[in-house]
Amino acid sequence: MAHYFSLSIEHGIGWLTFDCPGEKINKLSASALAELSEMIAQAKTASDLQVLVIVSAKTDIFVAGADIAEIQNIDTPEDGYAKARSGQSIFDQLASFPMPTIAAIDGAALGGGLELALACLFRVVSDNPKTQLGLPEVNLGIIPGFGGTQRLPRLIGVQAALPMIISGGSVDGNKAEKLGLADRCVSSAFFRSEVVRFCKECGSDEGRQRILARRQSNVKGQWVEALPFGLAMVASTARRAVILKTHGHYPAPFVAIRSVVEGLKLSLADGLDQEAHRFSELVGTPISKNLIALFFIQEELKKYTGVPAGVLARPVRHSGVIGAGLMGGGIAWLLSSKGIAVRIKDVNWNAINLAYQSASKIYAKLVENRKMTRCESQLGLNGISATTDYSGFGTAEVVIEAVVENMEIKKKVLGELETHLREDAVIASNTSSLSVTEMASGLTHPERFVGMHFFSPVNRMPLVEIVPGEKTSPETIATVVQLAKTLKKTPIVVKNGPGFLVNRILIPYVNEAVWLLEDGAEIADIDRIMEGFGMPLGPLALADEVGLDVGYKVAKILEAGFGERMAVAPSFDRIHQKDDLKGKKSGKGFYIHEGIAKKPNPDIATLIYRGDDHAISSEDILDRLVLIMINEASRCIAEGVVEKPEYLDIAMVMGAGFPPFRLGLCRYADQRGISEIVGRLDTLSKTAGTRFVPSNALVQMTKVSSTFYS
Amino acid sequence: MNERIAIIDGIRTPFCKAGGQLREVSADHLGAVVAREIIARTGISGEQLDEVIFGNVSQPSNAANIARVIGLRAGVPQRVPAYTVHRNCASGMESVTTAANKILAGEADIILSGGTESMSNIPLMFNKKMVRFFEELGKAKTTVQKVKVLLTFRLGHLAPVLGIVEGLTDPICGLIMGLTAEKLSREFGISRQEQDQYALASHSKALAAIQAGRFAEEIVPLPVPPQFKSVIIQDDGPRANQTIEALQKLKPYFDRKNGTVTVGNACPLTDGAAAVIVMKESKAKALGLNPLGYLRGYGYAGLEPERMGLGPIYASAKVLERTGLAVSDMDLFEINEAFSAQVLANLRAFESTEFASQKLGRSTALGAIDPDKLNVNGGAVALGHPVGTSGIRLIITTLKELRRRGKQRGLASLCVGGGQGGAVIVEVE
Repeated sequence: MAHYFSLSIEHGIGWLTFDCPGEKINKLSASALAELSEMIAQAKTASDLQVLVIVSAKTDIFVAGADIAEIQNIDTPEDGYAKARSGQSIFDQLASFPMPTIAAIDGAALGGGLELALACLFRVVSDNPKTQLGLPEVNLGIIPGFGGTQRLPRLIGVQAALPMIISGGSVDGNKAEKLGLADRCVSSAFFRSEVVRFCKECGSDEGRQRILARRQSNVKGQWVEALPFGLAMVASTARRAVILKTHGHYPAPFVAIRSVVEGLKLSLADGLDQEAHRFSELVGTPISKNLIALFFIQEELKKYTGVPAGVLARPVRHSGVIGAGLMGGGIAWLLSSKGIAVRIKDVNWNAINLAYQSASKIYAKLVENRKMTRCESQLGLNGISATTDYSGFGTAEVVIEAVVENMEIKKKVLGELETHLREDAVIASNTSSLSVTEMASGLTHPERFVGMHFFSPVNRMPLVEIVPGEKTSPETIATVVQLAKTLKKTPIVVKNGPGFLVNRILIPYVNEAVWLLEDGAEIADIDRIMEGFGMPLGPLALADEVGLDVGYKVAKILEAGFGERMAVAPSFDRIHQKDDLKGKKSGKGFYIHEGIAKKPNPDIATLIYRGDDHAISSEDILDRLVLIMINEASRCIAEGVVEKPEYLDIAMVMGAGFPPFRLGLCRYADQRGISEIVGRLDTLSKTAGTRFVPSNALVQMTKVSSTFYS
Repeated sequence: MNERIAIIDGIRTPFCKAGGQLREVSADHLGAVVAREIIARTGISGEQLDEVIFGNVSQPSNAANIARVIGLRAGVPQRVPAYTVHRNCASGMESVTTAANKILAGEADIILSGGTESMSNIPLMFNKKMVRFFEELGKAKTTVQKVKVLLTFRLGHLAPVLGIVEGLTDPICGLIMGLTAEKLSREFGISRQEQDQYALASHSKALAAIQAGRFAEEIVPLPVPPQFKSVIIQDDGPRANQTIEALQKLKPYFDRKNGTVTVGNACPLTDGAAAVIVMKESKAKALGLNPLGYLRGYGYAGLEPERMGLGPIYASAKVLERTGLAVSDMDLFEINEAFSAQVLANLRAFESTEFASQKLGRSTALGAIDPDKLNVNGGAVALGHPVGTSGIRLIITTLKELRRRGKQRGLASLCVGGGQGGAVIVEVE
């Protein structure tokens, strides 16, 4: 036996070492927990043991959490309750251990890992930046089920505990000590000897008392809980914060608040039982399953290269950006912030200065929010240089073109650019919808050319569509995929075609919103319904944000590429002709923007071709907007625009803000039922337009009753 | 020097009057911009460099050894060392001549040399009384002690020490630089009228150069941090509407009663940076480069601190002797215009047999300088004088002008506070 844990006793200290075999991290799988239980029982009988220390053999990891795959397999509340209770009982064994117990944490202690540490009498942590203590369960749509919602507030007070639990965030060693979560934060370099010292200290009664007294003095604000309505007050503040952040789409934080508040009114034992019940309410629900699936897709994408094994990415240390617009500036910031030298080229210095302006604004914001030091931001800014000719482009390994979205101009710029680069430099175009193959047609070396579509604003949107043209070489793809990862973005390889992936699905959705206006729906209703669905912005607010001119241009490209089903709503043409209606950047679009406030623009009504006004139900508004996307998504999958539905879904989450709790369009369609979707599309194709005729792919799926994810 | 040193290319920022457009910009940022730019323009990568050397006079306290800060900000690899040189107003020139020595000694192949100065950011300092006050306050432990110290405070404690004034005052002779120029004006009989005429010419030549786009060849436009509200394309010193009447109206600045030196006929305090890449001529050939020009020889000389403005003739005599060349071999001259009076004094000294025999130990005059070959694109009176940078600016400007004219050889020289002069001879072919 003894696969996961080993116990060795030296000078009275029992070192219970967690070392998950064959893994880089420790996780609390069912079998690991079972073994832990036995080891605790064994330690109890060891005669020469005075203090029990739980420690990890992994670098930078204490315990990363429970086994998420096991959580994913829980299907019923009963099963969930049983699993939580069983874990709790093992940690109870630790809590009632006759000798002092210490969790020695030099690395991440997350989820179940922190709950394990909370069941110990003491916690010693390190100043290693990788030492992070947190309960991220809500990110997976569940709550801590091994005592986290009970022991944490009892240890550090409800005011400190609640934010940690409902945000899923973590704290480092020093912060943990300040909160009273850790009893001591010691140097990571001398961790073992410092832990031994701590053990000696808690060997005596008075030593233990001293440590506990210090802990108590660190815990702040427990007086609030003592007030008659204190708990209710704290809970309602927390609830408001959650609503502000999630618009109430995620139940887990609310359940967590209830578990904490109700638990504090009970004994620890009853509180734990209560927690297990609440855990079981959430585990196995569609939202939790979606969030867990999303987590696994993200894990899978970490290893994603977009090319067959063996193709090597070339390192990038020098880069160029052509075109100093908003995107160019954002991309320059991104590259420079990761230590890659950037040379910007534009036709004049006033344009170049705008790129510096947008980059420096992002840097300033990061410094203001303490995400970056002043030194780092200064060094980053110094990494950007500029020119109006191509001087300095000879050293670039990658050049990203971000000039205006016009095929002729792009081809001219690219042809010019190519003569100034070394032969093996990769040229990437940040086009959002133009054909990569056509752009490459004038190049001497089309194999080193690729589309690299960053989403706006670059500093906030994680998705990068990598678009190979017909002749793009695998090395080129590998290089830009690796570059996107270095830039902490999520790259997904998609096929060259109008709108690539995300815009091909998203623009019809915006266009559909205009069709809806023609059919009598109101601007505010359309956006409210979609925000209610979970989109961060409704389609019309989104159009204003992106710029109506930009959106219109892509819509026209899609219409040219796909014909009638993507026909631009006639009112959109009329709105586009008004120069002052460009969206947020011109102050007016579907909305009138004043600072961050906006109200529907009454002038839009005069530009809409109204048909026979008829009441249009909320259900119809929602289905027309969502199903038009699903219909197109099914075509994208069938045509192989993207490798698999999972990647399409994550692209929509990362590139279009599709709500993560729904996982994505394909998953949503699966959960609603493909045949129901096809039925609704059939109806809509008769009432709203032929663009709703279900795709062959969807019809085929109903015939063989398959789903996207099966 | 046994082999010429190739200057591959040179670049500078626009020069801007201190306290103006570049007031928020640090000397290390300016240096980093030109260092990165010269790397980009020459195509010499940071990996190829063996050393970064920068001249800088005011040495900001937040960037000790500013050359190292600049190297890293410019993306030069961390393994490439860097050091800062200080020869006062010749610091920029020193960065090039020091590099030449290092290369000829076989210690380095390729060096990035530069100069940078932000005279806007020379600090005001607390005076000694205030510093003492802070020390006492720091030592006080009890409240009573603290109050006692606080009561010793007087308004006079707040009178600042001006770093710029201290820096420009010679600690040996006690004269501020302007007064050393007054001394030369008297000893050489250079009238106020002559100085103002000289200054006016400097402005008009500089303006002509700007209009013809000549300085654009050596300037990298500078987007201005921290907010990047503007880009500076050209030097802001030269005044288009400068008239002799306006110059004549100015009060003497240093000797208010009987002086001749005004802010109009002296150079302004200035911010700016410049950089070059240097290597042996043979190395440049081996790399297939087409250098901007070559350093043929250099010389530094010391003289009386109170006559520091005559530095150029002493240093020029030295470099001419070392290279075996004569004034008549030069196609162009750049003499830095710290003060109009000081440049004019040098011109007289160059053609004076008496000066040559008394001061230079020569039987004949060093040689008259043809005014048509001197500072043909204006000088520091119009362009400004960022003290750590000017020495390099002179080298770059001379070489670019020689190329434009299809000429071969020039002499660039400057006076150095503290009583020194520096001079180099540069060639294009």
